[in-house]
Amino acid sequence: MEAYTDKTPGKQAAAGAAEQSGLSRFWRKMKSQKVLYFMAIPFVLWVFVFSYLPLWGWTMAFQDFKPGRTFMEQDWVGFKHFVDLFTDERFYLVMRNTLAMSFMGLIVGFTVPILFAVLLSELRGKYFKRTVQTVSYLPHFVSWVVVAGIVTKMLSTEGGAVNDLLLGLNLIDQPIQFLAKGEWFWSIVTASDLWKELGWNAIIYLAAISGIDPELYEASRVDGANRLKQMWHITLPGIRTTISVLLIMSIGHLISIGFEKQFLLGNNLVMDYSEVLDLYALNYGLNLGRFSFGTAIGIFNSVVSILLLFAANGVLKKVTKESIM
Amino acid sequence: MKVLQMKKTRTAAMLLLAGALAVTAGCSGSGNNGNGNAPAANSAANAGTDAGGEAKADPITFSFFGADASPNWNNMQDEVGKAITEKTGVTIKAEYAVSGGGTDKIALMAASGQYPDMVFAKGDINKLVDAGAVLDLTDLIEEHAPNLKKVYGKYMQRLKYSKEDPAIYVLPTNDSIDQTYFDAGGGFELQQRVLKELGYPQIKTLEDYENALKTYYAKHPTTDGQPTIPLTLDADNWRIMITVTNPAFLATGLPDDGEYYINPETYEASFHIKRPEEREYIRWLNKMFNEGLLDKEAFVQKSDQYKAKIASGRVLGLIDQEWGYADAENAIKTKEDGAYTYAHLPVTMSSEFKDASFAPTGFMAGYGIAITESCKDPVRAIKFLDWLASDEGQVLRNWGIEGKHYEVQDGKRVIPADIQKQKTEDNANFTKSTGIGLYYAMGPHYGDGVKDPSGNYYTTNFPEQIIEGYTPAEKETLQAYGASTWIDLFPKPSEFKERPYGAAWNIPAPTDPDYNVIFKKAEDIIWKKVPEAILAKPEDFDKVFDDMLAQLDKVNLKKAEEIYTQAVKDRVEQWSAK
Repeated sequence: MEAYTDKTPGKQAAAGAAEQSGLSRFWRKMKSQKVLYFMAIPFVLWVFVFSYLPLWGWTMAFQDFKPGRTFMEQDWVGFKHFVDLFTDERFYLVMRNTLAMSFMGLIVGFTVPILFAVLLSELRGKYFKRTVQTVSYLPHFVSWVVVAGIVTKMLSTEGGAVNDLLLGLNLIDQPIQFLAKGEWFWSIVTASDLWKELGWNAIIYLAAISGIDPELYEASRVDGANRLKQMWHITLPGIRTTISVLLIMSIGHLISIGFEKQFLLGNNLVMDYSEVLDLYALNYGLNLGRFSFGTAIGIFNSVVSILLLFAANGVLKKVTKESIM
Repeated sequence: MKVLQMKKTRTAAMLLLAGALAVTAGCSGSGNNGNGNAPAANSAANAGTDAGGEAKADPITFSFFGADASPNWNNMQDEVGKAITEKTGVTIKAEYAVSGGGTDKIALMAASGQYPDMVFAKGDINKLVDAGAVLDLTDLIEEHAPNLKKVYGKYMQRLKYSKEDPAIYVLPTNDSIDQTYFDAGGGFELQQRVLKELGYPQIKTLEDYENALKTYYAKHPTTDGQPTIPLTLDADNWRIMITVTNPAFLATGLPDDGEYYINPETYEASFHIKRPEEREYIRWLNKMFNEGLLDKEAFVQKSDQYKAKIASGRVLGLIDQEWGYADAENAIKTKEDGAYTYAHLPVTMSSEFKDASFAPTGFMAGYGIAITESCKDPVRAIKFLDWLASDEGQVLRNWGIEGKHYEVQDGKRVIPADIQKQKTEDNANFTKSTGIGLYYAMGPHYGDGVKDPSGNYYTTNFPEQIIEGYTPAEKETLQAYGASTWIDLFPKPSEFKERPYGAAWNIPAPTDPDYNVIFKKAEDIIWKKVPEAILAKPEDFDKVFDDMLAQLDKVNLKKAEEIYTQAVKDRVEQWSAK
């Protein structure tokens, strides 16, 4: 980070004097900033070892990888595993589930915490505000295993709170088997995710809101803005940068939504709605000893993520002039 | 937020990436070498192998991975574990699969080439064999393991891996040698209180079973204030095989051949669920569901919820194996003298079928312990396993320590009453502190009913001991049916012909990648469609079931069945070779 912040003005200067030899300028600059470069080395190495070295394993996707053989002894098969992947019907089903759940998660998991943060910041009572905030982010620290247990119990047909409530209100006359209905699975996952992460995701917005200059609010009050108008014209624009950056990053993660939720809440009945890409890679790749196939899924995953990230970045840059690259 | 501009740095990143690739290329040269090579001929000095294994040896630690969960594992700090370390100098550092039979863990091992010294891999051993990860033990056994040779005896032929690869990679430790079954843990289960109140009626068919549940449920809709559940199942992941699809073949007279029905004449393998008889069994479950007798949550609940229900005592009937619910049953064992424990009944679809739970298989080699190529000292490892197989080792593993866990009275091994009580009523803690039962799968063992040179049984499971372990309610039920243990109610092994391939579930899956993918797809279809059929309206049942069969055809199940047929035939040929 230090290196970047320091380099930025330098770069602007370089753009101004383009006719000067770029390389010699670069070396001179580097020399004068050698301490900063030195400080950056551990982090560059870190990224290297954990993000770039493993890329070597991608070669596996183009082989019929057999464990126990050396690299030279593997059979190279080109794009065979990608062809297998794209011709498997199940893959499209799994993609549908993955994208459906991540889009639902993105929409709900994005708007609600912002709303929550804005409303929370409007509260006057300091202690009440803090209590609500703390209570709301506690579920973030509960493991999915436990959350899945709670959700299953809540939705149980036998003494589950949700069914009891619906029965009590005479809205239904038979308990509903929520977890046996495939078409409801996505919503259940999204709702439980929201419950778990709402408070936690709101923290960063709350921090951004507290960074807004209070004078802006005073000025708007003088101009006669009511609280709704203040929220709309000051709070929301004030955290716009935060929102766009987080949006771009979560779009980049759209396809890699993990599998704990789906794995723990799913059952055989809803398999067609609950199997996501990571589970598919586990079941049809690793567990069957198809390491190459699993790697092909991993490559697909990464490529799509990068494309999504650039697309989101590009679109937002055009629309809001904000971007992370 | 700062806007970071880093276009120029991209070129630099590319250069770095190229460098990284070069570095890794250099590193990966030192991979594993070849297939099942002979172990380094070290520790030849350690040749003092007398049968007792008294030779005091330097302490050594072996790492171990077990594919079955072992929640009571105590890092060898239990009494038996300490005794083993004292005798052999070996400490085992074990890791066990938590769920799913360790499939993912073993796949990772194979991919990374990092193995523990010893592995108990069950059906996934083929992955390790393919990776050249496990040692051929043939010579090691010949040179260092007199006890192993003695224990396996006439079954040595069955230890060989396959027709093409006759090496011994695995010491079978999952099955017992020359086992006589004295007790049954499967069949259909009914609580003793149900049978007692109904006056111990004859329960032989699904109809009898259903009537018993229905009658009792009508009279006792609640148990301790909570609704009674007439019948529940555990369909959480692979458990669906145990409580739903396996009972389909058991109730229709087939022995356990895994997912397959093996034609006894032609050895042709086909998925058993396709049999018309089993459709009728699943239809019966559908009927039970629609009549409200089958728990509505049966296909949604997880195993722990299933067990919680059983532990509350309000589930009247189960269709499971005892190991699937034993810890839940233990929790209610003492309540009302065991009225809430379960009787095991050989229920079949109609009287024309005979429950084949105990059809003989002969000794089931296949699942067992293997020594890997990364083992520090294969000779010590085989000697350790050999010691576990010795009379002394087997008695220690089964009975515990003399004077502590059993006594010898007039030349007979007896478990004192207080120890037995602890063992029956608080089994988890008993296992944890004594270690009895923890070393079961680590070494080969004789089965129940085999006697050692002193005339005592090797295991603690013999009729007197088993009856000792029953609750009063169980004894009462058995007496009413004129039996002394549950197995007396089941058809005898002698009524069936031994299958020349043992049992098909234990044949290693062919490593053909197509086979595995088809099998997995078929399994997914069955696991999804069978519950769907059971939960359907009765008039829709056939539609759902036919749809399942059509989907199975679509994934080309025929091909998998053909490959498996060949595997069965090869096994028959290999095992019948002399």
